[in-house]
Amino acid sequence: MILKNNLKEVRQKKGFTQEELGKSVDVSRQTVISIERYRYKPSLELAMKIAKKLNIKIEKLFYFG
Amino acid sequence: MTLSKKEISILIEIVFSIVFASIFLPYFYDNQDNNLILIDDIIGKIIEILIFIVIYFSVAYSLLEFVFNKKETKDERDDMINSKSYKLGYLLYEFSLFIFIGYVCSKFQNKELLNLTGNQELYNGFNLTDVGIIFLILVLLAFISIVKSLYQFYLYRTV
Repeated sequence: MILKNNLKEVRQKKGFTQEELGKSVDVSRQTVISIERYRYKPSLELAMKIAKKLNIKIEKLFYFG
Repeated sequence: MTLSKKEISILIEIVFSIVFASIFLPYFYDNQDNNLILIDDIIGKIIEILIFIVIYFSVAYSLLEFVFNKKETKDERDDMINSKSYKLGYLLYEFSLFIFIGYVCSKFQNKELLNLTGNQELYNGFNLTDVGIIFLILVLLAFISIVKSLYQFYLYRTV
């Protein structure tokens, strides 16, 4: 089971750039890119911060696929 | 291939290790059999190395700041990459320390064996001087530093 996410779709839908989203949750643009490409699994704290920023439930954003 | 500021700073470290090894290691290599090297010479060389380090990193990081004037955030991904690469560096350091101690012990043991068998010519050639020990330590440190930085660079490109 791989931890997947809808980050890219949700982020684009909400009108955030990778840079803006990263800045708002105190991470670099590279980290946002890595999460979107499933290369890096974020900590629970970061996942919750991103979900809160995008105003979406964490289980809708991150899921096992 | 575009490189981030963090990746370039890792490349600066790798280049430093290679330049350091190619400039300073030959001196210690050439003098490793020399028992008569003066302590002033070694202190002079260490001062030379320190001046080189200060100048190299001042120039390299000033240029880096000049090119990438935007401040980069240090986040949990950086911490994860650093912890992985430093763990590898630490393991290599521990492993090479064992090899180094084993090498020094075997060198002294072999010397004693040559003495017992009466092979005076080889016995005299079996020296491990202070400069020889410094040379070995510097080789190990340069090697570990290069491997650690290469792994860190690899992680930044793939994670």
